Amino acid sequence: MPEHLKTFEHKKRNWVGKPLKRKEDLRLLTGRGTFMDDIRLPDMKHAATLRSPYPHAWIKGINVSEALNFPGVRGILTGEDVAKMSNPFPVGVPVPPKYYCCAIDKVRFVGEPVAVVVADDRYVAEDALDLITVDYEPLPVVMDIEEAMSPEAPVLHDNIGSNIYSHRFFQYGDMDKAYKEADLVVKGKFHFPKYGSTPIETYGVIASYNPFSEEFVIYNNYQGPFVNHSLVAIALGIPENKMRWIVPTDIGGGFGTKTGLYPSIALIALAAKKTGMTVKWIEDRREHLLASATGTDRVTYMEAAVKKDGTILGLKDKAIDNTGGYIRAPEPGCAYRSTGNHTGGYQIRNLDREVLVVGTNKCLTAPNRGYTCQELYFSLERMIDLVASELGMDTAEIRFKNFIQPDQFPYTTATGGIYDAGDYQKVFQMALDKIDYKKMREEQRKAREQGRLMGIGFSTVVDPSVTNIAYVTLALTPEERAKGHPKSGSGEAVIIKMDPLGKVHVIACTNPQGQGHDTVISQIVADELGVHPDDVTVSNVVDTHDRVYSITTGSYSSRFSSVVTTAVVTAARRLTEKMLKIAAHLLEANVKELEIQEGKICVKGSPDKSMQMRHVAGTAHWNQAALPEGMDAGLYETCLYTMPTSQPPDELDRVNSSNTYGFMAEAIVVEVDPETGEVKILKWASVHDAGTILNPALLEGQVMGSCAHGLGGSLYEEWAYDENGQCITASFQDYLVPTAMEVPKIDIGHVEIPSPITALGSKGAGESSCMSVPACIGNAIADALAPLGVTISELPLSPNKIWHLIQKAKKKR
Amino acid sequence: MKIEGKYKFLASQEQIWDLFMDQKNLEKAIPGCEKMEEREPGKYDVLLKIGIAAIKGTYTGKVEVVDPEPPNRYRLLGEGSGNPGFVKGEATIEFSQEGQHTIVSYQGDMQVGGLIAGIGQRMIGGIAKMMAGQFFKKMAKELKSQQ
Repeated sequence: MPEHLKTFEHKKRNWVGKPLKRKEDLRLLTGRGTFMDDIRLPDMKHAATLRSPYPHAWIKGINVSEALNFPGVRGILTGEDVAKMSNPFPVGVPVPPKYYCCAIDKVRFVGEPVAVVVADDRYVAEDALDLITVDYEPLPVVMDIEEAMSPEAPVLHDNIGSNIYSHRFFQYGDMDKAYKEADLVVKGKFHFPKYGSTPIETYGVIASYNPFSEEFVIYNNYQGPFVNHSLVAIALGIPENKMRWIVPTDIGGGFGTKTGLYPSIALIALAAKKTGMTVKWIEDRREHLLASATGTDRVTYMEAAVKKDGTILGLKDKAIDNTGGYIRAPEPGCAYRSTGNHTGGYQIRNLDREVLVVGTNKCLTAPNRGYTCQELYFSLERMIDLVASELGMDTAEIRFKNFIQPDQFPYTTATGGIYDAGDYQKVFQMALDKIDYKKMREEQRKAREQGRLMGIGFSTVVDPSVTNIAYVTLALTPEERAKGHPKSGSGEAVIIKMDPLGKVHVIACTNPQGQGHDTVISQIVADELGVHPDDVTVSNVVDTHDRVYSITTGSYSSRFSSVVTTAVVTAARRLTEKMLKIAAHLLEANVKELEIQEGKICVKGSPDKSMQMRHVAGTAHWNQAALPEGMDAGLYETCLYTMPTSQPPDELDRVNSSNTYGFMAEAIVVEVDPETGEVKILKWASVHDAGTILNPALLEGQVMGSCAHGLGGSLYEEWAYDENGQCITASFQDYLVPTAMEVPKIDIGHVEIPSPITALGSKGAGESSCMSVPACIGNAIADALAPLGVTISELPLSPNKIWHLIQKAKKKR
Repeated sequence: MKIEGKYKFLASQEQIWDLFMDQKNLEKAIPGCEKMEEREPGKYDVLLKIGIAAIKGTYTGKVEVVDPEPPNRYRLLGEGSGNPGFVKGEATIEFSQEGQHTIVSYQGDMQVGGLIAGIGQRMIGGIAKMMAGQFFKKMAKELKSQQ
């Protein structure tokens, strides 16, 4: 990292780092939050969506006449209207499929929208759906990732001619040399399941269209990024400034899957335009579990070239992602987003990659918490254990052997990631100590003597946050990129103002989903301006017409702790600077002589020469003539901060795909019941380095949640389909989400290695353990079943699946 | 999804064959059958109203008897769709005499789609079995009333 990128000195702070209770709690816990369904507009009508029961079929005809005559129905939007009124969404692949917000002449997954009924209430709208008859001509389906690439597979999109949406090769370092120098090559194949996030609040949209101003106003619970505001404008064929999005104060969970909301925004906008009504649609749970968005399922083939001493010289892998019936932005990001941290926490300098993104007749994808890092680390961390097993090496020792060393930071990876700060040894050692590793191995030995299946698993992974939008352009070759316009950035905007009575107002655009942003912003501003957190009000309603925002705005990719905090600090410092200038002018002093102390600006060394900050604020607003010459009146400062480390990819396809890189180590001890295949977690330590801790109570909540999410992906959750393409997990009785009963005690630890590139030294923490837990549990179960000769290469590890693996292994013997 | 089962009737194999070939009996015995019309020989249009949990709704469909080998077996093709989704399947119905009894057995494959698949798939096997049970009981009743 060039020296100039290390922008910030970190000082001791009063409020940041304290476990302040959330400002948001009172309103949320007393039912006074404002979520999408709380918004009721005058003359609002309600929409219900007719969805395809077929995974792949031609639509031969739709008859809506009976439904239109149903009392209370105000209008019906079908694919025919959508084709006339809108365009397919742009997406960054060489030959894009024609992806509209509604099926036009063909359906490609169960749950794809086919028509929208607008009625006086939701009951009428739902009943009217029954009266629409659709004549489908079913087609053969393709459900398997690898079968999708076969020349015999049914083709989803004739204009593409195959089911491959994106395909690229990458070479970093010299893999041939790594193979030559290697003592052995270890191979593995891994399958990561399709799973999602199931936020407690589903998608919601209220749209209206003004035919005179030709303008849409659309309330929605979109979590960002606002690059998709542009995509919806393009789809609707309107300029962006004719489409106003308003996101209410509260969103009931996003986890990345609410970035998949934007096609529904377009759909309801068209229904509003066609009917001339204000139309509300709140997704029901079945719709969510059929057709919202999941992460990609992925098949990975991986080879590691290793020395006998455990040194990993290089990796070769082929990863195939599945974005379902269509591919929509930000995909094919799934294949490219983790480029910078592809080699995890290890010094691996040689890498050959082949990436493929394919389509099957499954529901579409979006960045799901961890955005493909769980897929990446499941294969990488399982591979590390396979290598250890081949070499007869301890699984902790092999990790220490290959870690990047503390004195190597900032560390540039083979793929172009710039790891800002870390001490991986320290984090991992803490996890080992927490489970008492040596003692556990001893207990495992005894357990094995008794025929019990006990296993110890680790995963030690880099936690990337604040994506740099540049990664999306890796879908193009360097030559193709050179012809187009480069992309880069991670910007976030904040406005800070001090009102005439001296209180502070921060306007942010973070679309909070329960993370406690208002609380942390107040803590930061209190430190910067020397006020109390209660003196800071935070507005966090996003309105694209009157807020300052960036296309990367939103809460996703664990952006808050790194880039939003830096924008808040920078804006606050600009405000302080202005106030000091005003005070210097009024006190007839030099700015350099001034300091802020307990709500006052004083001349250093002369305590009687001072001004209350609120008087400075009062002057800025009420006595504008007294301000220094040429200064703007009032006290408003804006910062749209982008990380200087967000650069476009270079000609060798290296990219710093994220901006701050935390680290975490999971250590999990399990016991598997050989009779039932049930997994019991005996010990779990989760140690994180998220840089400076902003609010320990909030971080604790994030880590707990991400651990539970990771546990779900490991043992329970899968967006499952039968062989005919029917989704068989469309309710919570079949789509299993871990509850408090399933989550064991987790011993959470922290190591704080501050990032030099964020104002407070903080790194992201919102996604964290959901990336590391699936690999760790996979490793622990593999270790438990090792005496039986069972290897683990797929998730989720349901008792049924484990039981079958055990039976298969027994038969082999 | 595989479905199978059998039922024992107290009558000769020929009597039972005739019982099953008579549309009027089927119309009465098929659970929820509101209407059954013969389009052409062996091909019927049916309207079903089913009131069971996950598959509750009105279905319209087609049923076809193919490859009849009186009085031993025939194949049944069926498909129907309604608000809760669609059902498609085929089954072989076999008749065999055991003393004074005739055993009717069925063996088939069924595909479901839409809401039925997403919500109710785990229960479909049980529901199919229950509906088959109801059907056979009613057929036995028809048989009795005609004897």
